[in-house]
Amino acid sequence: MIRTKQYFSHLITCPMRHVIKIITILVAISAIWIGLLQTAVIPNSHTWLLPIYLVVLLGCYGLLMVGVGLMRFPTCPQEAMLLQQDIIEAKEFLKQKGVDFGSD
Amino acid sequence: MGLADRAVGFLLSFISLSIFTYYTFWVIILPFVDSDHFIHQYFPPLEYAILIPVFAGVTLLFFLCVFIGMVILKSKKKKP
Repeated sequence: MIRTKQYFSHLITCPMRHVIKIITILVAISAIWIGLLQTAVIPNSHTWLLPIYLVVLLGCYGLLMVGVGLMRFPTCPQEAMLLQQDIIEAKEFLKQKGVDFGSD
Repeated sequence: MGLADRAVGFLLSFISLSIFTYYTFWVIILPFVDSDHFIHQYFPPLEYAILIPVFAGVTLLFFLCVFIGMVILKSKKKKP
């Protein structure tokens, strides 16, 4: 919980740093790719496949991070019980005060 | 509950790793192998290595747009 808050506060206060990092990485990769095209160290048909391979690699990496995060996700069953009790109490209290809860 | 989460997470990482190895083999290693090696019969021709990701990306975008459109329509119906 606290780690995600730190990530988000960093993103809100200085968003430019992340954008500049991503842009520099993209520029570096395209420079390497154009260099490969010009000098023809690898046959050109393979060099054209490289960006698509990198995009697929990026997608795979994202999926892997999601899977690993899911596997290591810690559950707190006691906190879940306390949270349910808090929700019931809050609902009772607010119903008395006249807040309409609706159908959802 | 935790076990189902862990199973889904393991399945996702397994799928991602297998796609990674197969695609790496296909695009990077196979062009450097002699064309009469037996391993070539397990991989489709190289044009499909471009067509399949592009097709999958377009399908993903399509479903994303349809989903967003349905959500917008539903919210518009609730508040006329």
